Amino acid sequence: MGKEIIVEVKSMDKRFGSTIALKDVSIKVCRGEILGLIGENGSGKSTVTSIISGMQRADRGEMFFKGEKWNPPSMLYALENGIGMIVQENGTVPEITVAENIFLGETKRFKSFGSKEHRWGVVKRKEMIKKAQEALDGIGASYIKAQQITSSLDMQNRKLIEIARIMAKKPEVLVVDETTTALSQIGRDIIYKIMEQMKKENKAVIFISHDLDEIMNVCDTLTVLRDGRIIVTFDKEEFNEEQIKTSMIGREMQGDYYRSDYDGSFKEEVVMELLNASLGTQLKNLNLQIHKGEILGVGGLSHCGMHTLGKVLFGAEKLHSGKVLIRGRELKNETDAMKEQIGYAAKDRDIESLCLNASIRDNIAIGGLDKFAVNRFLILPDREKRYVQEQATNLNIKCTDIGQYVSALSGGNKQKVVFGKWIGRKSEILILDCPTRGVDIGVKQAMYQLMYQMKKEGKSIVIISEEMTELIGMSDRLIVMKDGEIKKEFERSQSLCEADIIKYMI
Amino acid sequence: MKSYQIKKSLMNLTPLFGLAALFALFLLIGSSQDINIGYGLKSIINQSVVVAVVATGAIFIYTLGSFDISLGASVAVSALIGGIVYNRTESILAMLLVCIGIAVFIGLFNSVLASVFNLPVFVTTIAMLSVLNALVLVLIKVNGTGSEIAVPAAAVRPLNNTPFKIMVLAVFFFLSLFIFSFTGVGRMQKFQGGNPICAKLSGISEKKMAVIAFAMSGIGVGLGAFLSIIYAPTLTRNTASSVGMDVIIAIVFGGMPVSGGARSRIYAAVIGAFSMTLLSQIMVMFNLNSGIGQMVKAAIFILVVFLATSDQRSRMLPR
Repeated sequence: MGKEIIVEVKSMDKRFGSTIALKDVSIKVCRGEILGLIGENGSGKSTVTSIISGMQRADRGEMFFKGEKWNPPSMLYALENGIGMIVQENGTVPEITVAENIFLGETKRFKSFGSKEHRWGVVKRKEMIKKAQEALDGIGASYIKAQQITSSLDMQNRKLIEIARIMAKKPEVLVVDETTTALSQIGRDIIYKIMEQMKKENKAVIFISHDLDEIMNVCDTLTVLRDGRIIVTFDKEEFNEEQIKTSMIGREMQGDYYRSDYDGSFKEEVVMELLNASLGTQLKNLNLQIHKGEILGVGGLSHCGMHTLGKVLFGAEKLHSGKVLIRGRELKNETDAMKEQIGYAAKDRDIESLCLNASIRDNIAIGGLDKFAVNRFLILPDREKRYVQEQATNLNIKCTDIGQYVSALSGGNKQKVVFGKWIGRKSEILILDCPTRGVDIGVKQAMYQLMYQMKKEGKSIVIISEEMTELIGMSDRLIVMKDGEIKKEFERSQSLCEADIIKYMI
Repeated sequence: MKSYQIKKSLMNLTPLFGLAALFALFLLIGSSQDINIGYGLKSIINQSVVVAVVATGAIFIYTLGSFDISLGASVAVSALIGGIVYNRTESILAMLLVCIGIAVFIGLFNSVLASVFNLPVFVTTIAMLSVLNALVLVLIKVNGTGSEIAVPAAAVRPLNNTPFKIMVLAVFFFLSLFIFSFTGVGRMQKFQGGNPICAKLSGISEKKMAVIAFAMSGIGVGLGAFLSIIYAPTLTRNTASSVGMDVIIAIVFGGMPVSGGARSRIYAAVIGAFSMTLLSQIMVMFNLNSGIGQMVKAAIFILVVFLATSDQRSRMLPR
């Protein structure tokens, strides 16, 4: 090929307790290249890139960056020296300003005594804010103000702060770890632009995503990992969707990905209803009915109000006016929603749907206390274990045991735990906000089939998603939201395409 | 069992190993110095049991990721009112019930106050500390001699024995352990402490959890007040004055994460209380004057907490 190698990993091993995360992994990244890493959840993609980026150390193996041995002791060191990583998890501190987040650990740059830079000096806030705003402008996120408190921003904008932080350092290698799944099209476009720019500047990008279309569009080469091992590397001209899928899961995918029928029928019975619901600019006089056995898709841009709608349907957000009726009765709060067999998987999984420093057992069991506890009170360890184990087995959660902390799981396995929590308690209505974010195609397929099965059992599902293909593929009825209002409603149809929906979103 | 799991279990047991090591050291030094071990142990139990009982209840508050700074003052007020009631009724049972009732009331008042004003609970306990300290002075002035309230020693002497105190601690400990580990309430408490946002979205009521935690803590405080009267029936403004701080130290010393959550352990209170007293006794046996003893205790305290939490600190980023 003749291209200069910028990063090389040789024979890398990494274990987490008894779990083998990486086994003899070797990767080469060339200048002017966007390398894609793809694989099922827990296949080792994030582990290898986190080692390259200084987040953790390998147990064995060597790394080289620009021909020199590379063993970064921290992410900050790696970033200072040319490798930056945008992580999958939240990487901002909520209660400080955007500027402070952008220059986290570096405020000494802005410290001075009089005109002289000094570590014991006072931080020149105005200068820091100015530089931070420049960093935001540089990535095309000028609408985020550097003096804002970070917690006032949503997940997408917090992610953009991280991107600005990394790009302000002008890295030579950028690692993008499943970041785009947390972003709407605007955010994605920002990242794609950055990646293209880096390629033009003869730098390199390592890109991790579960979105096969996206990764095939963006990447020049694609390396597939499975169970911590490199399976195959494809060059752009060899990209073939079926072949990539087969390499990822180790077998040919059987059955349908989405549901195959175009019969969008459901029962007449209305299980849930939104009457003249208003909540600031997020929801404006919304009226909506959800029927028994219906999969209702809700699409739109990130700020259209659809995520708020999910919370309202679970009783987690109080309406300014209007009401939510569940089987004709007014829904009061989350506890009430649980009693009515409503389940809610939030978009911000790590913060809203999981207790990371608790075990898989704790996280699944908390949703099913009224199912397995004797008289909803007494917990018998055996019954609890059986209940949790059943969910873990059915959903094929990759873990050492159910006592493993959720924080140690990959993104997709975390999502399976969230599913287990709500499916285990036999929820009759499931509100799923971005349910397949960060989930690999094998698990996605299983989740879609599970949703379809639940529909056939008469359960109602609301899928809130920014992935149009997912909504088209699964919904009986699809509503498009914009500025807190329902702009269009589509029935299930074979002819429905993304373009039909997008024109009502924008 | 995998080596990782063995390591994890051993890490969890670090505070217990610490207690066992301190106990062994106590026996070793005691026998080499011809000290009456039996008497020494009795003294350790007397000193530890009040802190252990109060700390066991307080674990429920710590599990929520909160803390109560007014526990010592609450013990004092409960004991004083219990003493006054005994002097008027001459009923031990009435004294016990009043001690518990007052302590639970104070705890609930704290949590309700926090709920009404939408404040973190520990903020209201700071205010409560001042109120309770003032109340101690008022109670002694109005109902006592001006400097003390005395319950007749003869009345409580039959209960002032080690088996009774151990029994009180054991009953409360096992009740707490049961609620903590074998009921939905215990699970919800830990989940609430681990991630309040997720807990809310799992149908757990923050207010309800706070009320239960403070009620349980109140029972511990009430029993602690009762045991304090039995041990020292002359109640002064100094009664239980060190209990508040001792409880905090004992809980951390026992390996309880200060942030609460799923790693919370009810036994941390008992292990911590006994470890702390054993350590003090060993310092005395080494003839370390109180200043040096305090410094050595502080160093050991940090070492134990370091070991007990090293697993959490060394774990890599979530993957």
